[in-house]
Amino acid sequence: MSEPILTTKDLRKSYGDLEAVKGVSFSVLRGEIFSLLGPNGAGKTTTISMLSCLLSPSGGTAEIGGHDIISNSLDVRKIIGVVPQEIALYEELTARQNLHFWGSMYNMSGKALKARIDEVLTQVNLAERANDRVSTFSGGMKRRINIAVGLLHKPQLLFMDEPTVGIDPQSRRRILDMVKELRDQGMTVLYTTHYMEEAEELSDRVGIIDHGKLIALGTQAELTKVVGQQETLRLHLGEGHLAEDHLELFTAVQGVLSATALNGEMALSVTEAEEALPGVISKANAVALPIRSIDIEEPNLEAVFLHLTGRALRD
Amino acid sequence: MRKIATLVWKDTILRFSSASEILFFLILPIVFTFLLGGGFSTFATEEDTDSRIPLLVVNEDDSDLAQALLDVLSTSETVRVDIMSRDEAEAAFADETAPALLLIPAGFADALLTGETAVLDLRQLPDDNNATIAGRAVNTAVSYISRPLNAARASVTIAAERQPFADNAARHAYFTQSLALAQDLAAETPQRVTLTQPETATTQNGDYNPATQSSVGQLITWVFIPLLGTSGFLALERRRGTLRRLLTTPTQKATYLLGTITSQFLVGLVQMILLIGFGILVMHVNWGNSLGGLAILLVAFALTSVAFGTMLGTFVKTESQASNLSIMLGMSMALLGGCWWPMELFPPAVQNVVKVLPTTWAMQGLTDMVMRGQGVNAVLLETAVLLGFAAVFFAIGILRFRHD
Repeated sequence: MSEPILTTKDLRKSYGDLEAVKGVSFSVLRGEIFSLLGPNGAGKTTTISMLSCLLSPSGGTAEIGGHDIISNSLDVRKIIGVVPQEIALYEELTARQNLHFWGSMYNMSGKALKARIDEVLTQVNLAERANDRVSTFSGGMKRRINIAVGLLHKPQLLFMDEPTVGIDPQSRRRILDMVKELRDQGMTVLYTTHYMEEAEELSDRVGIIDHGKLIALGTQAELTKVVGQQETLRLHLGEGHLAEDHLELFTAVQGVLSATALNGEMALSVTEAEEALPGVISKANAVALPIRSIDIEEPNLEAVFLHLTGRALRD
Repeated sequence: MRKIATLVWKDTILRFSSASEILFFLILPIVFTFLLGGGFSTFATEEDTDSRIPLLVVNEDDSDLAQALLDVLSTSETVRVDIMSRDEAEAAFADETAPALLLIPAGFADALLTGETAVLDLRQLPDDNNATIAGRAVNTAVSYISRPLNAARASVTIAAERQPFADNAARHAYFTQSLALAQDLAAETPQRVTLTQPETATTQNGDYNPATQSSVGQLITWVFIPLLGTSGFLALERRRGTLRRLLTTPTQKATYLLGTITSQFLVGLVQMILLIGFGILVMHVNWGNSLGGLAILLVAFALTSVAFGTMLGTFVKTESQASNLSIMLGMSMALLGGCWWPMELFPPAVQNVVKVLPTTWAMQGLTDMVMRGQGVNAVLLETAVLLGFAAVFFAIGILRFRHD
């Protein structure tokens, strides 16, 4: 797991004056799950679109399996699989017909294609619905067929662009387990998400992207070191009280390093939760600010993002 | 090649997955062809199959000249003379059972013979093409019977210059004799120009035939509109993200376009064959005597239509935009291209302007072959123009092609 299958150097994409990706450089090693974590609009999909030869970069270079994505895009497209964010399927066709169509687009045919279709249908647990039209499937089932298409030709590198958006927790669980199985089978996965928990659960390494820039890169342990031993106190305020209105109040409490508001909650970065907690509670009591509950969170990728950007991941 | 075949297979399933597609593919074309082509008269007895335009005639002038006018009209291949009393004719005209009524008033012949202006009363339904055609037939007949009269008058004038007549009776006798002679000569004069038409042609003498006009025009209309729907396919693929996904596979953009175009083109050809079959079997339309000419013209037209749809697909953003534009543009271009009524009814200036439309050229080529019985050489120009349109439309479509 040491040889890189993907390497980008200073990859850029601009639309007129708008710079969507601002010089991204990273490598993905063979056999690993590499996550690009960032909020919506951070540049994740644009980066994947360039790497999958759909968009031409405005600058920089990228190589996949030794092939340049610009000058040798046909060879690149032979070894990558793409699972797009949207359900890119033909709903009028059955699951099997969809797989047959996409397999043909990957130059597969005959018995080999038929056998592979059966394999991936079993892999995504939809063999029994193979001959049903995709339009009759639930959102989660469509997502799984969407993934199956990307797996058909056994790609060396699989791009998965937010594959769990808009589905129920059960289907999400299935997809995450499937991604881990793929890694166990030796496939390399570049996974984009704005869900911190997914990146934490799946990734061997994570790249944090924001406003088109890669702001951090490493294993989860390496990244959390950035925020030191900081913990997070998450305060759920009473109804009618906005966290934004009380941020300054708590930054003055001893042991509180910073305060951030998110969806009516308040996130306080503290050096030691047990030491800071009494001061936080007494401050709230002093101004009669009702607190419904307090969660103490260990350092995680969300804290890293907060530390690096001053914003919460889901802002 | 296998990829193109797979794209054709996929597009065919997508296209016919909706029952409404059959409506545009077959049902509407057949219904319109049938109704505009004469409808149920197709099944009428031989006696009822006189497709000439009925002309109601009231003859109140008991004269040889009035009878001569009726004789000429009765030989017309465009109007069918129905002689009746004034009351009957006016009632029938009021009921619009015929588009025109001709009243020959008493004194019609006397006025002509004395050199005065003879007045015929011709009533026509407003905004009715058949009424216009009937009016032209009456003018032709009047012009025909006027020629001997003019000759007789001219001979009286020349005779009077040489030697004046003794009295009016002598002048009248000379006029009557001259008129009789001129009428005999007119009757015996061989036709110098004879309009001929090959036996294979549907109509007898190149006349307008509603069934043929309808079959040809409706075929162009109803093949053109669905093929413009290629634009909707491109919009659909963009919205679903399947086009983006497809371009991440080792499939060239050109392969995708070729597959999409081929599928639409083949569907268009199948539709044409079905509509031609309907024309032959049900409407008894003869599609001319040049299978080769028909084939190259229809292939060129199908290519032009798909190319136009491809180009349109690069301008629209949504399927509903594509659908609305396809129907609006398709119907307008078919109407202006002469697919719904003969181009000859358009003002000359409009006839020139509509040459910028591919439907005009397709209709012109098919009309030359099917109505006028011409062969492959007669449609080479139309075919070349259609292929030129196709090349331009494809070029614009490919240059503007985008995946999102």
